Amino acid sequence: MSFLIVLVAGMPLVAALVTAVLGPRVLREASHVPTVTATAISFIGSLALLGMLLRATPAAHDAHSEEHVRTFERVFELWTWADISPSGASIERPVPHGTWDFVRFHIPIALRVDPLTVFMLVTVTFISLLVAIYSIGYMHDDPGYWRFYTYISLFVFSMIMLVSVSNFVLLYVFWEAVGLCSYLLIGFWYRKPEAAAAGKKAFLVNRVGDFGFALGIFLLWSMYGTLNFHDTIDPQTQEVFSAGILGTARLLHPEKGLIHGGLATVACLLLFAGACGKSAQFPLHVWLPDAMEGPTPVSALIHAATMVTAGVYMVARCMPLFQVAPHVLEIVGGVATFTALMAAVIALTQTDLKRILAYSTISQLGYMFLGLSVGGLVGAAAAMFHLFTHAFFKALLFLGAGSVMHATGGVIDLNQIGGLRRRLPWTHVTFLIGSLALAGIFPLAGFFSKDEILLAVAGKAPHSGYYQTLLAIAMATAFLTAVYTFRAYFRTFFGEERLPAESVGHVHESPPVMLIPLGILAAGSVVVGALLGPTRWVEHFLSGTTSLDAAAHLAGHGMVAHAGAIPWISLVLALLGVALAAGVVLGPGVFVQGIVAAFRAVGLYTLSYRKFFFDEIYQWFIVRPLAGLASVAAWIDRFVIDWLVDVVGLIPRFLGAMLRSVQNGLIPWYALGMVLGMLVLLAALVL
Amino acid sequence: MSENALLIQQLWVGACLFGLGLVGFLSRRNLILMFLSVELMLQGVSLSFVSWGRFHGQLQGQVFALFVMAVAAAEAAVALALVLNLVRARYGLDVLKIQHLREEGLGEIPREVEEEEVPPPPPPSWPKLPRVGRAPVIPEEVLEYRPTV
Repeated sequence: MSFLIVLVAGMPLVAALVTAVLGPRVLREASHVPTVTATAISFIGSLALLGMLLRATPAAHDAHSEEHVRTFERVFELWTWADISPSGASIERPVPHGTWDFVRFHIPIALRVDPLTVFMLVTVTFISLLVAIYSIGYMHDDPGYWRFYTYISLFVFSMIMLVSVSNFVLLYVFWEAVGLCSYLLIGFWYRKPEAAAAGKKAFLVNRVGDFGFALGIFLLWSMYGTLNFHDTIDPQTQEVFSAGILGTARLLHPEKGLIHGGLATVACLLLFAGACGKSAQFPLHVWLPDAMEGPTPVSALIHAATMVTAGVYMVARCMPLFQVAPHVLEIVGGVATFTALMAAVIALTQTDLKRILAYSTISQLGYMFLGLSVGGLVGAAAAMFHLFTHAFFKALLFLGAGSVMHATGGVIDLNQIGGLRRRLPWTHVTFLIGSLALAGIFPLAGFFSKDEILLAVAGKAPHSGYYQTLLAIAMATAFLTAVYTFRAYFRTFFGEERLPAESVGHVHESPPVMLIPLGILAAGSVVVGALLGPTRWVEHFLSGTTSLDAAAHLAGHGMVAHAGAIPWISLVLALLGVALAAGVVLGPGVFVQGIVAAFRAVGLYTLSYRKFFFDEIYQWFIVRPLAGLASVAAWIDRFVIDWLVDVVGLIPRFLGAMLRSVQNGLIPWYALGMVLGMLVLLAALVL
Repeated sequence: MSENALLIQQLWVGACLFGLGLVGFLSRRNLILMFLSVELMLQGVSLSFVSWGRFHGQLQGQVFALFVMAVAAAEAAVALALVLNLVRARYGLDVLKIQHLREEGLGEIPREVEEEEVPPPPPPSWPKLPRVGRAPVIPEEVLEYRPTV
């Protein structure tokens, strides 16, 4: 098992190095080979790990068995990365709250295998593999072909490490590495100013969240005295040497083991700030729509597998911490629901196909965080399930959009394209499946996973009016989701055929290397929900994770809501949404104009079209003041600090100018100098 | 005369020689004279070496003096060769004319002291003696002031 996890994590890194070294000279057009091979091996390795886990945790299905048998985790410490020990200390103790004794700072490079990690590994490697294959067709004539695959490999490696490390510091390291790779890939076409700006924006907005995340990690360190997830076991005595934050020793009795109170709330909010940045939640969501400037497969990768899911994973991993901290989950839920609704409203009026999909990702991520905010295993499992199905249909939709772009010469403005269903039959079918899944129509994946979340929220709703409100908003968002998804779908594939000028002469269906991943993803979008949803397989599987088991313990039992009418209500809402979208796009023009006029009348249209003015607000209240500050600093640098440096540089010149006249070439003058110097020496000797 | 007093007198002489040489070295512009002044200083030092050696009853002082003389002789040869070359290069003996090792851009410093206008010496006027055997002719005006003998 240790070999497998190292293989899974290591292969993409090897591929990245190989592609970086050999790509420009040797591999050239074959630069995809290392990446595709490595990702495939990683995927197979993840599947093998999944199989081993399924055999290793038969008891996971039985919730009433002995506590420490219920969960499964293996941690493989490869080597020690950092170790600062007080001399002579043998046993470290967590720092008691409020004291600052020096304790052992020990960070092992440890990879963990537990259900949550393996679940993420399978998702990430599968989507990455398909995206890598798809990119062979999509990027085939790009001059930066090898560069693209180097970045992709590095991206996949970072994400695999992010989900499999067992330490907050390493989590942060790979959290940043993912951010770096996304920066590189979004700005892949760096000669294009928009792409460079978008990459910078993604990096900087993420940095805001990461700052909070780092502070949260510092706070956790001061609270717990360790940053490991796992317990360190003394090899001689087999006793717990140091209890990790999310280790079995602490989570066996989470009420006692975890630190409660206001400090925990602050720590969790800081962690959530990091998740907001990475997973594009309000108010840090602004980078994700601009990330469309990168190549489309990158968008698919970012949205489905390797980037935005990091925040969801991190919160799911830290679920017990969030549960013992008061009020945090309510805040998470509020932010998530607001994000979901806001992004859905924005997506209604956008005209760029990829931008609509980007806002839909933000909205769906809001759903995931809403699921997480329910807390406990139920919420985390619902969120992870939605993450899983969302990875399928969002990757499918993005790759479909990429296929459209491939045909139209890079144009995906809905005002310029239309009626493509005859030209691109396969893309059309797969895109339809993706849209149905995203909208949550019955037999497809999105229906099941979205309902898991709605049910989880509904399970909490009877106890609090707050969650009832959230549930209502989430339902409304489900309706909006169907509307914007099918608006994009109908406008792209139906109506009169419109083709942009750029596409003249090469409107064609994509090559098989692009269509096969689309087909696989479409098949997945159809079946995974029906396979895993009704059986609640995800929940059973994830209950084998230590931290999620503790989360279930903390949440108490009896939280599972009865399905009742909620799935049907959401389905009806989704169908209504589809119908509305069809009416708006395909119906008589009067109808469209009426609706648009109605929205315009209340100002909602502009608000939505201009994305709630977030970019403008940030521009005015953050970017401009900072730019002003920067220009002041630049002025000070140029005219004060540089001036000081110049002055220092003038001193030797000035002294030299004074001493120059001494060197006048007159021999008696030198002789006098010698005599005077001798007199000074004599005087010094005598005195 | 006691040894002490003798030493002091000798040192005085040496110091005087040295001082004279120093003053000459600083004030003269003629290269050869400057060189001579240096020799003078050297001899002053040598003298004090010898006298200290005598005072202490040791030979080192004299040995030093011999060394100084030997070195001075060698130096004299070198220095005179240099001077000769300078003269041949039409610099002349005036040390102020050799100031090319000046810092760039300072400009030539007109340190050449203006040659004082020395009025040409009056032609020698020998007393004109009267011819032998004649009474001197004394001018009238001279006679006027001449006291009557």
